[in-house]
Amino acid sequence: MSNEILLKATDVVKTFSTRSKKFGRPHQSTAVNGVSLEIRRGETLGIVGESGCGKSTLARCLVQLLPTTSGSVVFEGTEISKLSRRTLRPLRRKMQLVFQDPYASLNPRRTVGDIVAEPLRINKFGTEEVIKERVRELFRTVGLDVNSLTRYPHEFSGGQRQRIGIARALALNPSLVVADEPVSALDVSVQAQVLNLMADLQEKLNLTYLFIAHDLGVVRHVSDRVGVMYLGEIVELGDADELYDRPMHPYTDALLSVVPELNDTDAPRRERIILKGDVPDPSDRPSGCSFHPRCPVATDRCKEEKPTLVEIRPGRSVACHYPKNAS
Amino acid sequence: MPDSPVLKVQDLKVTFATRQGPLRAVDGLSFDVAPKEVVGIVGESGSGKSVSMYSMLGLVRDANVSISGSVKFQGREILGLSDQEMQPIRGGEIGMIFQDPMTALTPVYTVGWQIIEQLRTHTDMTKAQARERAIELLGEVGIPDPRNRVDHYPHEFSGGMRQRVVIAMALSCNPKLLIADEPTTALDVTTQAQILDLMLKLQDTYNSSIVIITHDMGVIAEMAHKVVVMYAGRPAEIGPELDVVRNPRHPYTWGLLGAVPRVEARNDRLTTIRGNAVSPLEIPEGCAFADRCDYRMEICTKRPQLKGTSDHLDACWLSDEQRVSIRSKAAS
Repeated sequence: MSNEILLKATDVVKTFSTRSKKFGRPHQSTAVNGVSLEIRRGETLGIVGESGCGKSTLARCLVQLLPTTSGSVVFEGTEISKLSRRTLRPLRRKMQLVFQDPYASLNPRRTVGDIVAEPLRINKFGTEEVIKERVRELFRTVGLDVNSLTRYPHEFSGGQRQRIGIARALALNPSLVVADEPVSALDVSVQAQVLNLMADLQEKLNLTYLFIAHDLGVVRHVSDRVGVMYLGEIVELGDADELYDRPMHPYTDALLSVVPELNDTDAPRRERIILKGDVPDPSDRPSGCSFHPRCPVATDRCKEEKPTLVEIRPGRSVACHYPKNAS
Repeated sequence: MPDSPVLKVQDLKVTFATRQGPLRAVDGLSFDVAPKEVVGIVGESGSGKSVSMYSMLGLVRDANVSISGSVKFQGREILGLSDQEMQPIRGGEIGMIFQDPMTALTPVYTVGWQIIEQLRTHTDMTKAQARERAIELLGEVGIPDPRNRVDHYPHEFSGGMRQRVVIAMALSCNPKLLIADEPTTALDVTTQAQILDLMLKLQDTYNSSIVIITHDMGVIAEMAHKVVVMYAGRPAEIGPELDVVRNPRHPYTWGLLGAVPRVEARNDRLTTIRGNAVSPLEIPEGCAFADRCDYRMEICTKRPQLKGTSDHLDACWLSDEQRVSIRSKAAS
């Protein structure tokens, strides 16, 4: 891992216009609310949060699959959030995606060889012969049988399909791979195979991953650094082991405390903090700190004053007026 | 627990006749559920955990299915009962919680209507009594302002709240046994914690036994007293939760536990089980796990029976000495 910054996002905001239930008065729903982060070359940045927290929207904004409402995204030194589609295209090959559902992300009517070759053809990688050789090489890289190139997606299991999705993402030698819940549709034994494969590929090809998942165990396993999202904001960011062992934000603390554990050792269990209520509607954000209505340590200050993400010590940031484990 | 079991399943087999030949979805499942006991059934997709529960309740209505074995509920054989005979049992003495709370509730009636319907079917309450009880139940499962919420439709509730409604419904007739099929899989982890907590609390109040079906070993560890690990429709290992998690005996359980990425500590590499789960159409005559097993022996072409000491059983040909040496090698 180097200290070179591959992608830098500053104050990224994404709002969607929705119609309210009451006679279609349009209103704004802020899915990503001012996120700033950096991704360093060669690292894995994990983003974890519950459904609806905006983690997928954030990922799509960072690679410009969705236009950002405001804020800046700089990728390999280029500001990409204001580029036209045409000027963005040469940069796209450097940022590839692996999707959650291996059943929905592969075209069922095309052979898997074609699916993996498509990005190569679009980007005029070379002659058909060169492309074929590259596809075979990619299949070997992700551990698939080269003789299965002419088969269709339905002939593969979920884990194999996800390997095909990974091969397609790697086809153009990207520098950043954004994986949005890449293993959540897989059974645990197959999930482990895919996670191990992703780790091997990262080492071999010096890849940078932005890894989005809701599974806290998976995120800890793959990530060098982790960002925790709540209601469109990053509430805590830091080194993975540090953040998991000594969470600072009360939300992170609660989240980690309720993950069902295997209790296969005598180590004492974290005390469970069961949060009350549900995540609020992003179009109807609470005042002050977004987390205050569910927070076990909230005070009057939290209702009024919104905490910002501040660096408490190098590489460790938290957005809370009363962080734990801060000293 | 000396009391006679609430549920006693013996050699349950569920086979579907398909064009490609017999599909053995469940093949020789046996276990007991004692009063107030929580039994967890764990396995990957296609391992037969859900279909075994549905078939014992008479909910598998495929013309090509054949079900054999014995399922005794409170001492009475329920396998093969007619729909009419099953009616007071299903939803009455046996409550059910399904994975997806949106499809378990009908969207065209209010949640109150749905709970009242169930109460009126299984008890002789009047409409007004049933409504009061429905409000009471919604309050018990932690739905704020139940008197108002009882007249709301399912889409007006969040996922976690809907699952609470389903739980309220399952508990409405004070069931002896609660069958929960992946009750928290569709939910976020903070909501999952709320629901699991609620289930344990209510189990205590209502004195019911629970069978919880899940693919998540963590949920099993939190909830269950006893674990049944299933692979390819067969039980691979059965035992008390602590024994299975801390001292697993079957190679499949070893793989399953090693493959879980942990929140408490990071391990460099996850254990994997090679290959893919065996297709239920191609389950070998011998050990179903043999093709993926790292410790395969010649004898594995013969099917191992469940055996073991007292209450911790497993279906594997490895001897105790072999297991000890494999495990100590793996640990070092």
